[in-house]
Amino acid sequence: MKNNIKIERARHNMTQQDLASRIGVSRQTINAMESNKYVPSTVLALKIAALFKLTVEEIFLLEEND
Amino acid sequence: MKTALLLPSRYKKIGILMLIPSLILGVLVRFNDFSFDFLTLTTGHSYVKSTPLNFDEVINFTDEMALTGIIVALLFIAFAREKQEDEFISKLRLESLQWAVLINYILLLIATWLIHGFSYIDVMVYNMLTVLIFFILRFHVLLFRNRSSITD
Repeated sequence: MKNNIKIERARHNMTQQDLASRIGVSRQTINAMESNKYVPSTVLALKIAALFKLTVEEIFLLEEND
Repeated sequence: MKTALLLPSRYKKIGILMLIPSLILGVLVRFNDFSFDFLTLTTGHSYVKSTPLNFDEVINFTDEMALTGIIVALLFIAFAREKQEDEFISKLRLESLQWAVLINYILLLIATWLIHGFSYIDVMVYNMLTVLIFFILRFHVLLFRNRSSITD
């Protein structure tokens, strides 16, 4: 699974720490998601989408091998 | 995120503070036959029921105290919540636990085939603690790696 968290974060001019504090997770979690090392739970995906005022599908995208 | 069965994060420090003296005591007991006199108990009868001898048995609880201290300290360190325990940290925690159990039993199997006789008792002694030790090491290595790979 790919995601556009880094792009959206840049667009909103947020650091990893800003985003982490806003959705109540650690900075490592944001970093792990951005580097595709961690697939977040549905709850976390929805929180991120809500924060960026987008749908989940606009941020998280399936890849061929998923 | 709520995670069951974890202690407040301050228990990591408490655990480390407890581990140091317990470990020193454990090493002294194990290698120097050290014992505290005040922990000696003389029973009027044989403590171990299967012992046929009928004299006052003297037991010293220094080793029990050392092992209890080490185990409780390791449990505190292992199960203290991280300052920000979220779903990703929980995943690292579970993966580390799985890794630790696997490595522990692989090493135990190797030791079972390579070490025989009385030395095997040493293997059993260390094996009481190794699952927790491997878990703590693995978990903190993963936390450290993820922290140091942070790019902003």
